[in-house]
Amino acid sequence: MDFFEQQDAARRRTGRLIAYFILAVVAMVVAIYFIVVIVLALVGAPERPGGPNPYMETPFRPGLFGLVALGTIGVILLGSLYKTSQLASGGEAVALMMGGRLIDRQTRDPAERRLLNVVDEMAVASGTPVPPVYVMANEASINAFAAGHQPGDAVIGVSRGCLEYLDRDELQGVMAHEFSHILNGDMRMNLRLVGILHGILMIAILGWFVLRSMAFSGRSSRGQRGGGAMIPAIGVGLLVAGSVGLFFGKLIKSAVSRQREYLADASAVQFTRLPEGIAGALKKIGGRPESSKIEDAHAEEISHMFFGSALGSLRFHLFATHPPLVRRIQQIDPTFDGKFPQRVKPVKVAPELPKPKKKPGKPVKAVRVGGTTPLDPGGLLGRIGVLDMEQLAYAAAILEVIPEPLRDAAAEPYGARAVVYAVLLSQDAQMHRQQLNALRPKAEEQSYRETERLAALFDGLPQEARLPLVETTLPALKTLSPDQYSKFRENVEALIKADQKVDLLEYAVRAIVLGQLDVQFGRSRPIAVRYRQLDPLLPSLVGLLSTLAYAGQSAEADVKGAFDKAMAAIGRQATPLAESDCSMRNFDATMKALAQAAPKLKRQIFTACVACVAADGKVTPREAQLVQAIAAVLGVPVPPIGEAIGTKP
Amino acid sequence: MGTQAWILIGVGVIFALLALMVIGIYNKLVALRNRYKNGFAQIDVQLKRRYDLIPNLIEVAKGYMKHERETLEAVIQARNQAVTAGQAAAENPGDPKAMKSLGRAEGQLTGTLGRLFALSENYPDLKANQNMMSVQEELASTENKVAFSRQAYNDAVMRYNTARETFPNVLLAGTFNFQEADLFEIEEEQQREAPKVSFT
Repeated sequence: MDFFEQQDAARRRTGRLIAYFILAVVAMVVAIYFIVVIVLALVGAPERPGGPNPYMETPFRPGLFGLVALGTIGVILLGSLYKTSQLASGGEAVALMMGGRLIDRQTRDPAERRLLNVVDEMAVASGTPVPPVYVMANEASINAFAAGHQPGDAVIGVSRGCLEYLDRDELQGVMAHEFSHILNGDMRMNLRLVGILHGILMIAILGWFVLRSMAFSGRSSRGQRGGGAMIPAIGVGLLVAGSVGLFFGKLIKSAVSRQREYLADASAVQFTRLPEGIAGALKKIGGRPESSKIEDAHAEEISHMFFGSALGSLRFHLFATHPPLVRRIQQIDPTFDGKFPQRVKPVKVAPELPKPKKKPGKPVKAVRVGGTTPLDPGGLLGRIGVLDMEQLAYAAAILEVIPEPLRDAAAEPYGARAVVYAVLLSQDAQMHRQQLNALRPKAEEQSYRETERLAALFDGLPQEARLPLVETTLPALKTLSPDQYSKFRENVEALIKADQKVDLLEYAVRAIVLGQLDVQFGRSRPIAVRYRQLDPLLPSLVGLLSTLAYAGQSAEADVKGAFDKAMAAIGRQATPLAESDCSMRNFDATMKALAQAAPKLKRQIFTACVACVAADGKVTPREAQLVQAIAAVLGVPVPPIGEAIGTKP
Repeated sequence: MGTQAWILIGVGVIFALLALMVIGIYNKLVALRNRYKNGFAQIDVQLKRRYDLIPNLIEVAKGYMKHERETLEAVIQARNQAVTAGQAAAENPGDPKAMKSLGRAEGQLTGTLGRLFALSENYPDLKANQNMMSVQEELASTENKVAFSRQAYNDAVMRYNTARETFPNVLLAGTFNFQEADLFEIEEEQQREAPKVSFT
């Protein structure tokens, strides 16, 4: 299954899950109705003494049933809505709920630094935005989670134990597991689960609440005939029905979660090709007395998002959100005999120097950054949404060529803004000055100067390193205050407009930075799927492919050739637009429409794009940027396009 | 169904709604509080960096400014005070007392540093010293970062305080002990504008 199929499957799974829950809710409505009828039959005295009890005679009353259904569903809905809205800001809300502390990106703590490096490399290698990383400082066990609605608002949380007891390979294994959750589309479903379960929980809470309030006011209502017994009976009934619903809800949640964990483990091994990494981390969980148990009171709610069982149980039972630990390890390392290490000692973390030494025994292919690269379209498509060692090495190499002061600046909000401004500055000296002049009155004096200082460092920075650099600014930019963000946004727009045309790099930067942050700051909603058929999108696709064809070719015949190849790749035919119609303004509208396509369609769109770019067998840096920009808008994680990908058979 | 049952259902629904609302408000306040606390963590990083730079600065300056021991010592003292105040504030970000004393200590530090730099104008050799220039440059950029993260923190505090004071949140803020948070404002010293130049 490739990335797009995974996404589609994840959506279907979410749908099926909701169907199960609807069944559970219907069962609860019926259960509550019966309880209500029984209660009424017992306490509701017959109209005449000794006469027939009206509720015994006709137990089914549509009016009453409707009322019960309305009430039950109403409460569940309210509960879910409430929880969903609480988690609306995505991963950040989850991390804060778990008592997470955002790891400062300028941290000098070697263990935190190492973790951020591992995460950066993985994010750049897989083409997902760099997620903010939180540490749960109160949790001594070894555990981690990824949470969010989509890669753009994802965060990663790790326990303190992760930092203390895992070595770099193990950390890489755990992070690969979490990234595979991000890439497999599991996070959205996980958040939905939290919301729905909370709704069902509300019924039980309500029952408990009724009983509690009875305990306080029990005496006063005793005088009324029958009514006194009715309220506690309803309370007990709600509690029972809620508990039954919760029982099934958790059963479903656990079953789904167990299955996804196996898959994430397998993907992690596939990504890192280092089974020892993730297996080692799992063994250490087994060897620690606190295993992977999370102490926080909210652990139960998000137990299915964790790397290891957050409730501390390592064996199989019906409510286990994770497969048994021994079985998980044996899936990766069949020789494992079930004996966990007796004692797991904290790992000493050496500070990671800017140029890490190549480990002996694991030859990392020398990667070259820069220049025009040959492209194998099949290879690129197969690499969307997956990670592997070569990509990781390539990402590390890219991050390594970025000068230290630039990486430092990208790590904190003040410098990160200046980095984005500086990236947008034109190479052309005159344009450069014009843009700086546009910035001057808007940005404060200091950030203007910081931008100038950083801009000087861009000379000699290869084109391929620019977008990864921009991606690493995202976590810092997410910490801006809303007011600071709106100023930043204005400045970015001013810089882009200053040279009177939007070029590709600018478009890509805008798509990556503003696209992600607008959602974060509540300026735009996450993109929803609107199109499931290709035909209504065909005019947009023609526009996109025409732009791409003009970008990569100079001769008119070559343009037509590239365009035709692209259309042929998806089995359609059309005529390209005239070059004058391929303005950036039209391009933007085109991309907005295409972003609303279902994953299956995005695969076709992307196939066509790659075919277009690859028509002449080469990728120019310009084309690579355009592909990256398209990917950013479509929300498709594309690894950096460079030699590591091009030479792969 | 009797009227009694209807009233019961009505009361139940109202209770449920109220409970939801209370939980909602509580969660919102917690989220906002977390946000400004995280905001302070950002400032804290920069402040610490600044405190770490000052001993280097003094080390370089000492070699040249032999006759300005008083000023140098004032800087060291102000720095040490700021470190203590910073620690107290980091333990309890937003606490009015802690924030005030940090603001004062920071103002003092800025003031004494300003005096030091004004005096250094009299020592051309010091001004031309490579180390001095780089420390000065780094200090300036750290101060900018402090100012920037301070702005973000203050924005977050304002949001929190506003949410805390609006109705009906204000009813709950007291019950659940959501205390008012204080802005981080640096009290600038007056002397800074008129550095006294001594030729002793």
